[in-house]
Amino acid sequence: MLEIDNIHVNYGRLQALRGVSITVAEGEVVCLVGPNGAGKSTTLAAIAGGVTPHAGSIKLQGRSLVGLPPEAITRLGVSLVPEGRHVFATLTVAENLRIGGFQRRDRGGAAADFERMLGHFPRLRERLQQPAGQLSGGEQQMLVIGRALMTRPRLVMVDEPSLGLAPMIVDQVYEILLSLRRSDGLTLLINEQSSKRVLQFADRIYVLRGGRIQLHDRASNLQDGKAIMEAYFGFGEQPAPATGSAALGGVAE
Amino acid sequence: MIGFLQNLIDALSLGSLYALAGLGIGLLFGILRLTNFAHGDFITFGAYALIVPSLDVMATKFIGGWPWYLMLPVVAALVVVMALLSDLLVFRKLRQASAPTLMIASFALGYIIQNTILMVYGARPKAIDMWSNLQQQVAIGELRVPQLQLVTIGATVVLMVGLSLFLGRTSYGVQMRAAAEDFRMARYLGIRANFVIGLAFAISGVLAAMTALLFVSQTGTLSHMMGVPLMLFAFIATVIGGMGSLVGAVVGGFAVGFVSVMLQAYLPEDLRSFRDAFVFTVVIVVLLFRPSGLVPTKALAQRV
Amino acid sequence: MNDGRLMRFAREWWPVVSLGLGLVLIVAVVSQLGGDQTSVTLTEMLIRMVVVIATYLFIGNSGILSFGHVGFMCIGAYAAGWATCNPAWKQLMLTGLPVFLREEEYPFLLAVAGGGALAAVVALIVGFAIMRLSGIAASIATFAFLAIVNSVYSNWDSVTAGTSSIIGIPQVVGPWEALAFVLLSMVVAFVFQKSRYGLMLKASRDDEVAAKASAVDIVKVRLIAFVASAFLVGMGGALYGHFLGVLTVDIFYMGLTFITLSMLVVGGIGSLFGAVVGVLAVTLVVEVLRALEAGITVGGNKIALPQGAQEIGLGVIMVLILLFRPAGLTRSREVPWPFVRRGAKPAGEPAEHAQPAE
Repeated sequence: MLEIDNIHVNYGRLQALRGVSITVAEGEVVCLVGPNGAGKSTTLAAIAGGVTPHAGSIKLQGRSLVGLPPEAITRLGVSLVPEGRHVFATLTVAENLRIGGFQRRDRGGAAADFERMLGHFPRLRERLQQPAGQLSGGEQQMLVIGRALMTRPRLVMVDEPSLGLAPMIVDQVYEILLSLRRSDGLTLLINEQSSKRVLQFADRIYVLRGGRIQLHDRASNLQDGKAIMEAYFGFGEQPAPATGSAALGGVAE
Repeated sequence: MIGFLQNLIDALSLGSLYALAGLGIGLLFGILRLTNFAHGDFITFGAYALIVPSLDVMATKFIGGWPWYLMLPVVAALVVVMALLSDLLVFRKLRQASAPTLMIASFALGYIIQNTILMVYGARPKAIDMWSNLQQQVAIGELRVPQLQLVTIGATVVLMVGLSLFLGRTSYGVQMRAAAEDFRMARYLGIRANFVIGLAFAISGVLAAMTALLFVSQTGTLSHMMGVPLMLFAFIATVIGGMGSLVGAVVGGFAVGFVSVMLQAYLPEDLRSFRDAFVFTVVIVVLLFRPSGLVPTKALAQRV
Repeated sequence: MNDGRLMRFAREWWPVVSLGLGLVLIVAVVSQLGGDQTSVTLTEMLIRMVVVIATYLFIGNSGILSFGHVGFMCIGAYAAGWATCNPAWKQLMLTGLPVFLREEEYPFLLAVAGGGALAAVVALIVGFAIMRLSGIAASIATFAFLAIVNSVYSNWDSVTAGTSSIIGIPQVVGPWEALAFVLLSMVVAFVFQKSRYGLMLKASRDDEVAAKASAVDIVKVRLIAFVASAFLVGMGGALYGHFLGVLTVDIFYMGLTFITLSMLVVGGIGSLFGAVVGVLAVTLVVEVLRALEAGITVGGNKIALPQGAQEIGLGVIMVLILLFRPAGLTRSREVPWPFVRRGAKPAGEPAEHAQPAE
C-alpha cells in the first residue's frame, strides 16, 4: 500500500535520512524503532508532506506523494499524529475532533464518525466543551488519535504514542489503536522507542539508526530482542540480559 | 463630570477605530506571523476608492456618493481584492521567510501603494464630505454626542461581534483558529493553507475598508499618508494588548484611544501638540513593566 | 613582523581595507571626472552610506529590524545645526534653545560629535525600554520612535523652527569629508562585529535560548549595539545638515527611512560589504530612475516616466530582492579574500548568516 524507496532528506546540511526504504502492506502494523535522532520522525514527516525528500520516491498505492502539500496527502487517506500530541489547546475538545472532518465531502459520515470516536474514547465525551489544553496527557493522546481518525484515513501514522505517558495509559492507547485497526480496517505505521511494545504489537519492524535502516524483519523473528538491540545501539555482542526480553522493556535513550 | 463623560465617548469612538485597525493586523499576525505594515495603506486605498481619480483639492465623490448599502460592499470588495493580490504577489512566496523579511516586505508594499496613490491623486490633502449629516449631535441626558461617534462605536461593536461569531461558530472560523494556533498541525488535518490564509487577508481587507469609511467620515480629509499614523497606533495597540491575541488587539486599541483622548483633554495647552509623543511614551512605559502586553498569550513564548 | 603574522593581519582586516580602498578610488575618480552635480550626488550618497553602515551595525548583528534610525539622524542633524548656525539668527528664531547653544557658534567637528552624542544619549534612554521587547515588538517600537521624533520636532517651534526650516548652516561637507566619516563608521562597525559584544549579539540573533543559557545578557548587548549605531547615525545626520545647509523636519521621515532600509536590504542585511554595495547599487538605480523621470529625448520625442516612478520603482526592486535574493546582492557575505594559498582553494569569509534571522 505504501512504498518508500530510498529517500534522502536533509535539514540544511544535516543528512537526516540517507536512503530509507520501507513498505507497508494494507492492514499491517509496522513499527519503526530507533534511538533519538535516528530519523523516525523525519520519515513520518516525509510521508505526510511536512518535509520533502530530495531523492527517492514515496508512493501510496502507486501514486506519488512527494511534493504534495500536507493537506492534499491527508485527503488521500494518510493521517499523521505527530510527536508531542499537538492538541489545539485553545479550542474545545469537540472543535478539535470536528476539525478532522471539515475537509470531508460526506457531512453525514463525518457526524457519524464524531459519535463513533466518542464511543471509542468515552472520557472525551465528558469534556466536550472544555479547552483541549486542560486535558491530561493520556486524554490528549486519545483526542489526537480520534481527531486524526476523523479525516477517514486508510493509513494512520503515530509518532511516539508512548512519550510522556504512564505505562498503563500507553497500554490503553495501544489497545485502542489495535481495535480500531480491526474495526475500521486501518493500516498502522508507528514510531516507538520501546522495543518491548513493538515486539508485542507489530507485524513487521524496521530499526533505524543514523538515517539508515539497520534491520528489517517480521516481529515473530525478532522476539528474543537481541538483533534489535544490536541494530538499535549499533554494536556487536551484548551480555545477555538477566531476565531475557523483558529487560528490554522501556529501552529509551 | 459631563466633560469627563464626553471625553469618554470620544475615547470609545477613537478607540473603536484603533481596535478595528488592530484587529485587521492581529488576524494576519496570528495566522501568518506577518506584521503587515501595509495595513494602513490598505485603509488609505479604501478611502481613495471613494473618489474620482484626479488632482483636485476638492474631491469629487465616486463610490462615495452611492447609497450606503451599495458603497459598503463595493469598497470592502475592492480592498479585499487589494489584500488578496498582496498575498498572491508578495506574501505567498515568503511563507517560510523570517519575521524581519516579512516586515520589510510589507513596508515596501505599503510604500508602493502610498506612492501609487500619490502619483494618481496628487500630494495635496483632499477635502471630502462623507456622511457629514452625521456630525449632528444627539442629546443623551445632558450630553451632546455627534451621531457619527455613536455610529462608529456601534459599527465597531457589530463588526467585532460578527468576527467573534464567525471565529467561534463557523467551521471556517474554527479552521482559522486552529491554523493560528498550530499551522502545521492544521495542515496535517487537511486544512488548506492557502485557503485559510486567503480568508485571513480577506477579513483583514474588510476591516480595513470599514476603518477607512469611519475614519474619512470623522476627519473629512484624504491624504496619501493618512494610513501611516493609523497603522502605527494599531500596531502599538496590538503590542500593548499582547501580540497574537485578537482580544488583546481590541483591548489595546481602546487603551490607546483612551490615553490619547484623555491626554488631549487634560494636558496643559502648550503641551497638547506633543500629545502623540506622550501617548507613545506611556506605551513604552507600560511595555517596560509588561513586555508581553496587557493580555498575555502563550502564543509567542518559546518553550525551553 | 614575520610573514605569517602580517598575512593573518591582512586577512583579518581585508573586508574593511578592501572596501575602504575601493571607496577612496571611486571618490577620487568621480570627483575628478564629474562636475558639481555629480559631486553633490556623491556626497549625499556617502552621507547615506554612513547611516546605512551604522544601521547595519545594529540590525545585522542583532537580527532586530529598526525603523527608527532616521529619527536619530534627525536628532543629530538638528543638534549639530544648533551648534554651528549663526547666533544672530538663532536668537531671533530659536528662542527655546539653551543659552550655550543660542549665543555661541561652535566648530564643525565638535558639532558633529555633539550630534552623535545627543543621539547616543537618546538611544540609551529609549533603548533601555525597547531592547527588552521581543524582536517584532522592538521593531514596532522603533517605528513608533521615528514617529515620536517627527512629531516632537515638528511641534517644538521654539527649538526647531517647527515646520519651517533652520537655515544658514555652514555647508562644509563635500565628498572627501563624508568619505572620512564613512571610513570611520566602517572601522567601528567592523571592530564591533569582531568583538566580544558582536559575537554575543550574533549568538542571540541565531538562537536566543541558547545564548541566554550561555549567560549572554541579551538586553545589555543589544543596547550597546543600539547606542553605538545611534551615535554613528547621529553623526551622519550632522553631516547631512552641513551638506544641505538647511534643515526641515519632514526630510527625516518615511522617504529617507525607506531608502536607507532598501539600501541595506538590496546589498545584504548581514554584512558590511552588503551595506556598502547596497548604497552604491540603490544610488545608481535611483539616479537612473530620476533621469527617466526627467525624460530622455529619443528621435524628437520626449519619453518620461511619471513623477513618483522613482519611489515605486525602488519599492518594486525591494520586493523583488526579498522574493528572489533575500540575503541581498552580496548574499550577506563580506569581501572574499582573493589570494590563493599554495595548494589550497580560495576561501571567502564564511557566510555570517544567509538571511535576516528572527
